[in-house]
Amino acid sequence: MTLIGYSQRIAAAVLLAVFGAALIFFTMHAAPGDPALAALGEGATPQAIAAFRLRWHLDEPLIIQFIWWLSSALQGQFGTSLTVASGMPVTSLILARLPNTVFIGVYALILAVLISVAAGTIAALKRGRNADVVATSAAIFGISMPDFWLSYVLIYAFALGTGWFPAYGFVQPQSAITGAIWSGTLPALAIAAPMAASFTRILRASLIEELHKDHVRVARSFGYGRLFVFAHFVFRNALIPYITVIGLQIRYLFGGTVIIERIFGIPGVGSLMVDGGFARDFPVVQACALTFLLCVLVVNMSVDAVCTALNPRRRW
Amino acid sequence: MTTQSTLINRRKALQLAAAAAAAPLMPSASWAGDSLLRAGITGFSVINTLDPAKASLLSEYYVLWAAFNALLKFDANMQIVPDLAESFRVVDTTTLEFKLRPGVKFQDGSELAADDVKFSLERLTDEALASPSRAKVAAIADIRILDPGTLQIMTRAPFAPLLTYLTNTRTGTQIVPYKTVKAMGSEAFGKQPVGTGAYAIKQWKSNESVELAAFPGYFLPGQNRIERVLMPLIPEESSGTTALLGGQIDLTSTAPFADVPSLRQKPALHVYTTSGLNTRYIALNNRKPPFDDVHFRRALSMAVDRNVLIQAVVFGEGVVSPGLLPPALHPRSDLPVPDLMKFNPERARGELAKSRYKAGTEATILIWGSNWWRRIGELFVAQTNQVLGTSLSLQVGDPNAVFARLRAGDFQAAVWGWLGLVDPDEYLGEMLGKGGFRNHQGYENPRFEELLAQGRAELDPERRWQIYRLAEQVMLEDMPLIPCFCSNVHNLATSRLSGFEQLPYSNYGDQFASLHIS
Repeated sequence: MTLIGYSQRIAAAVLLAVFGAALIFFTMHAAPGDPALAALGEGATPQAIAAFRLRWHLDEPLIIQFIWWLSSALQGQFGTSLTVASGMPVTSLILARLPNTVFIGVYALILAVLISVAAGTIAALKRGRNADVVATSAAIFGISMPDFWLSYVLIYAFALGTGWFPAYGFVQPQSAITGAIWSGTLPALAIAAPMAASFTRILRASLIEELHKDHVRVARSFGYGRLFVFAHFVFRNALIPYITVIGLQIRYLFGGTVIIERIFGIPGVGSLMVDGGFARDFPVVQACALTFLLCVLVVNMSVDAVCTALNPRRRW
Repeated sequence: MTTQSTLINRRKALQLAAAAAAAPLMPSASWAGDSLLRAGITGFSVINTLDPAKASLLSEYYVLWAAFNALLKFDANMQIVPDLAESFRVVDTTTLEFKLRPGVKFQDGSELAADDVKFSLERLTDEALASPSRAKVAAIADIRILDPGTLQIMTRAPFAPLLTYLTNTRTGTQIVPYKTVKAMGSEAFGKQPVGTGAYAIKQWKSNESVELAAFPGYFLPGQNRIERVLMPLIPEESSGTTALLGGQIDLTSTAPFADVPSLRQKPALHVYTTSGLNTRYIALNNRKPPFDDVHFRRALSMAVDRNVLIQAVVFGEGVVSPGLLPPALHPRSDLPVPDLMKFNPERARGELAKSRYKAGTEATILIWGSNWWRRIGELFVAQTNQVLGTSLSLQVGDPNAVFARLRAGDFQAAVWGWLGLVDPDEYLGEMLGKGGFRNHQGYENPRFEELLAQGRAELDPERRWQIYRLAEQVMLEDMPLIPCFCSNVHNLATSRLSGFEQLPYSNYGDQFASLHIS
């Protein structure tokens, strides 16, 4: 892709981010409820509510509030938390939590890729045999299971049952990376399972398709070894649809963290957004949603770049 | 033999590795002896403030009860006893005199004096502070300091609830250090509060946890043996249960009703249960059709089998109250359920026949919250529609949105409830009295108001209770809301924990000082 092509994509992404920010802002403010009630409680007097609204500029016209918020957001300032962490800057709240969410997300992605590469390859190479049936059935099971249900199954099996992992709580990667890996395993597995299942299916299908192509047969007839042919002519070509699917699935990964973080007590951006939503903490929800939106945009662009690198034809 | 020892070594190595990895998670109490308690705040994700004057959420009080004291408190038998006060006496019908406990220190080292008490109560009435507990002390006319250890509180008229409002419950009347608050300002004090309690607030991570440290200068000797208390906010109650089962916490502030029967079978746990000070009801907007008709309201009340609600909603963990007041507020346990609250389809249809609204009447009931809260509405609608042939329907919201609509009067009916209220006046006066801040129903009845006024002025507990009982009967004839049931309160604890004394108002932090972990 040319430099102009990249610039166009980045410009489109920025436009999309601004449009997304507007959508998030106005949707949040259109929802019923009042942050003043969440902050001041059941006994809040009308005077106290009025003072709260004045203090946080909630009585200004929505469009003015949006312009203020967007101009601060463009400078990396997302305002102050109204209720969830009253008085704390939202930017520092998100920065403190983002590493946890990213860690769990990346961990889940790594697990999903490892599981799917192993299962997809075995299923493709042993097509129609027992190994294929097991891998394909497990994939259907994985896709069908809701992640929150799987979370509790994992907790009962590997935390309360064997005691290998904690049932609740998370060691932040900054404190101890081994602790983060240990305490993040079950939540990462819960997020990874449905992804691994769909990755396995797509990898199996594209591997089978590649295995039957003419150039593979030609390579085999030249006397190249099975492994060499598989690695160079089958697997590499099968990776392109596989990686595209990974890119598409990553947005579900962010959705997954929202529920999983609450179940496992991970102080991440997802759980912050849910708590912010219930407490009508507009700045927090807007900043969290925008963070997720930016993450998805960045991931999509990265996936595009990786696919282009893998498939030289796409460069033209 | 060699193989076995190798295996053991490997296992040990794995265990050591896991322990090393787990160390920063939530430090294990097993190695800490009495040094750490991990007390989860389950079902909550938010603490807005730790200033008693500004607090309103139960999650905030769970912490405040450990860090602060009030003049009075409830003992294990729910009797009011002195706390920061050494003694108190009723001087006349409008004057209470308190003698302060000598030598009580705040966590910043300053000594408790009468001016701290005067300041703590008077600041609640400050309009600029906008305290949600303001109404609790509105009856106070003057606070007179007789000497640094003695003070008198005068009310404008006899006001019986004042004694309960001066206890260390959800009252906001916890005592703060006058000079410290003045120096810090209320906003900063709410983030780094200083009390006289057994535990000082060491760290508060918004939306995550609160950490407490034992206060060495606590005025009761031999208490607060546990050195540190970690209170993680655990929004999902079920996660609190799994955290306890998995050994990540030692105590929970609540338990999911559905799990209670099976948790009672687990020997490693202790399930504390008591009939709670709470009420779950259907709030009816008496200003809007069809709930502006008393016969329609009565018909609904008798079309609901409350025992079915208790079984299906809270899995038997509750009782039908003999009115709106929860059983824990009644001195007797043998009170019958009033006829208007008994399931009686025939009488219900009779009342409907007298109503302006007939079968087929449509109305919307707002529901919200977790499953069991919603189920109250679902079963209520199913039963009433079946018995009366009405067309009631449900609208799902979330707590904040529904509460905002209740306050604005923008609703027909809603599932609602309150928890941890300790005085009859908070139920009947605040929920149904004219101008009561919980009276979203818009209920008004002069006879009821008259009885409320009598109840507030009556200082004899038995006579006072009789008055509220009468007021409750007057109210039930009008059925401005439909009391459903009162649920049990639960705490889950590891069996290694002892000394927890559960009280019906969902007490929590106040118990930390007397706990032990074996």
